[in-house]
Amino acid sequence: MKKKLMAGLLVMVFVFSVFTFSGCGNENQIIIGTKDFNESIVLGEIFAQVIEAKTDISVKRKLNLGGTFICFEAIKKGDIDLYPEYTGTGITAHLKLPVISDTEEGYNVCKDEFDKQFNIAWLDPLGFNNTYAIAVTKEIAAEYNLSKCSDLKVNNASQNISFGGEHEFFNRPGDGFDGFCDLYDVSFKGDTIKMNVALKYKAIGDNEMDATDAYTTDSEILEYELVVLEDDLGFFPPYIAAPIIKNETLLKFPELKDVLNLLSGKITNTVMTQLNYNVMIDKQSVKVVAENFLTEAGII
Amino acid sequence: MNTIIDFINRYYKEILHYTSRHIYLVFVSVAIGIVIAVPLGILLSRHKKIAEPVIAGISAFQTIPGLVLLGFSMMIFGIGIKPAIIVLSLYSLLPILRNTYTGLIGVDASLKDAAKGIGMTKNEILFKVELPLSVSTIISGIRISTIYIISWATLAGLIGAGGLGDLIWIGLSTYSKDYILAGTIPAALLALIVSNLLELLQKLITPKGLKVKR
Amino acid sequence: MEIFEKSLEHLYLVFTATVFSVIVGVLLGIIAYRVKHLDKIILWLTDTLQTIPSLALLAFLMIFFGLGDLTLIIGLVLYSLLPITRNTYTGLKDVSPFLKDAAKGMGMSKMQRLLLVELPLSFPLIFVGIKIALVTSFSIAVLGVLIGAGGLGSIIYSGIQIQDVSMILKGAIPVTLMAIVFDIFMTFIEKRMIKKAKN
Repeated sequence: MKKKLMAGLLVMVFVFSVFTFSGCGNENQIIIGTKDFNESIVLGEIFAQVIEAKTDISVKRKLNLGGTFICFEAIKKGDIDLYPEYTGTGITAHLKLPVISDTEEGYNVCKDEFDKQFNIAWLDPLGFNNTYAIAVTKEIAAEYNLSKCSDLKVNNASQNISFGGEHEFFNRPGDGFDGFCDLYDVSFKGDTIKMNVALKYKAIGDNEMDATDAYTTDSEILEYELVVLEDDLGFFPPYIAAPIIKNETLLKFPELKDVLNLLSGKITNTVMTQLNYNVMIDKQSVKVVAENFLTEAGII
Repeated sequence: MNTIIDFINRYYKEILHYTSRHIYLVFVSVAIGIVIAVPLGILLSRHKKIAEPVIAGISAFQTIPGLVLLGFSMMIFGIGIKPAIIVLSLYSLLPILRNTYTGLIGVDASLKDAAKGIGMTKNEILFKVELPLSVSTIISGIRISTIYIISWATLAGLIGAGGLGDLIWIGLSTYSKDYILAGTIPAALLALIVSNLLELLQKLITPKGLKVKR
Repeated sequence: MEIFEKSLEHLYLVFTATVFSVIVGVLLGIIAYRVKHLDKIILWLTDTLQTIPSLALLAFLMIFFGLGDLTLIIGLVLYSLLPITRNTYTGLKDVSPFLKDAAKGMGMSKMQRLLLVELPLSFPLIFVGIKIALVTSFSIAVLGVLIGAGGLGSIIYSGIQIQDVSMILKGAIPVTLMAIVFDIFMTFIEKRMIKKAKN
């Protein structure tokens, strides 16, 4: 008897769970995803709040969903409707085209091709260019007299410098580690260290490595007093940030286009770095930082 | 068949590199585990009253997901090989400890008595009677530990320790089938080969009379 | 509350996987017991699956099934097969030959014998296998976050990324608690079953 009760209980819990989680789609809802680094999370929260403030649509947040490719797969599958992307990444990682150095051309190619190939729309640029940059500790910069990337080759300086970065950076054919080393003809000391994207700066701070691939709007550059080397040979393409959204979501909720375009041009490099700083170093909550930004910018 | 050969050609150097780091992580962690767990197991076999709570305590430890302990270790010890080995060594303790303990207390009391009877000291009994009779069980514990560690070590790539996990992580973060295979297949093979080798060792070491008939 | 929602998600994933691994595992155990030469292969297969590092298995499955809950559930099922299959097989094998003969003597067909005598008698051991599968699945399901599945793993992962101890704990404690609670609960039932069987 007891066994039957147990079995019955288990089945009930199982069935209950299935019902709770399957087919749970809310008709008046969109899902926003973000990549797994701070800036993306802040942008996602900004999108969510502006939509909540200006429309009746209910927003489900899947912030910190995963890396670039996880987000892209998710939007293609329809697990999310919208996430913040960068043109440089769109071109090399998703369209798998060679790097495009011209800012406007890059954006237009993304807009056209994503629409054609993936039924995804690129909304207006947010106003900043967060490109990859090689950052080194200020001690290393002083010791080897580094101010631009070409300086790494002088006297084979790079061979005394250890490099570490997130896993993704090591398999991006057009704009990643291998391509950089090829163009500048450098190789770094020992094995490169790979780690989760959020741990890079801690590693530099702990002196586990001397150099990393930084994103230009990272606030940690300020926090750890790193020196960003100028990309004098122009290896890294521009990465213009913009919301990307499924065409079918736009069809369903056409108001989203204008609402999200309220952000057009409002987030400059300075603003983005400041927002990052607020969260990472001032330790303010993402929600508050997003809200403050939107209020101060007069958007909500 | 062609694509597999191409694949191996393209990635073999990387695979070798990451595999050797992986083996290093596993070897050092299990070695540390053995060095701590076997003496501890011997100690517990002499003090059976505290054995159960101690083993239960370490066992509860084992239910904590690997990602959690790796995260804590990273926060305390930084990124790299050190925090990884610390956590992996901790994880390797339980199977070895438990098997050492059960192996030793499972030794037939009459054998120990007989040894005492012919004048062996406590140490002699330990090294000449109890341990040899338990060695098969202990190796089984080492085997279980090693399989766990090979598995958890793949997560260590997240905190900069290197190993086959790096290939898997690169594959996952760039959605690259090639890299995922370059990491998962060697990892699986490593686990299977080591498991079978240790099982073979266990069979070879077990004195004929003690072999359990299947 | 996010922790509650993620905990439910985690439970759902673990439960769903366990239900399927029971169905497949018991079936495989029965086949291993009944079909003469398949026992070695089946046991070897399930043992191999469990030896494969869990992250490797999940990443490999992701290639075929994509990101998401389904992949995690499939991985958990494959991983849980060994304890259930092996215990079903051993349980069936260990049923006293006298009882098997008695059943034959009473005119039962092979199927009847299986369903009415052998399986019920093996149930305690099978239950232990299910317990092991369920409890270990809680821990492995944490890795789901890495292949785009839900569950408490995402809280733990976020906590590690921002290096926030309290956040890691917010994810780790529910998972560990659930595993321990189910372990204790099922061990209790297991002991009751053995007591009943003895009487």
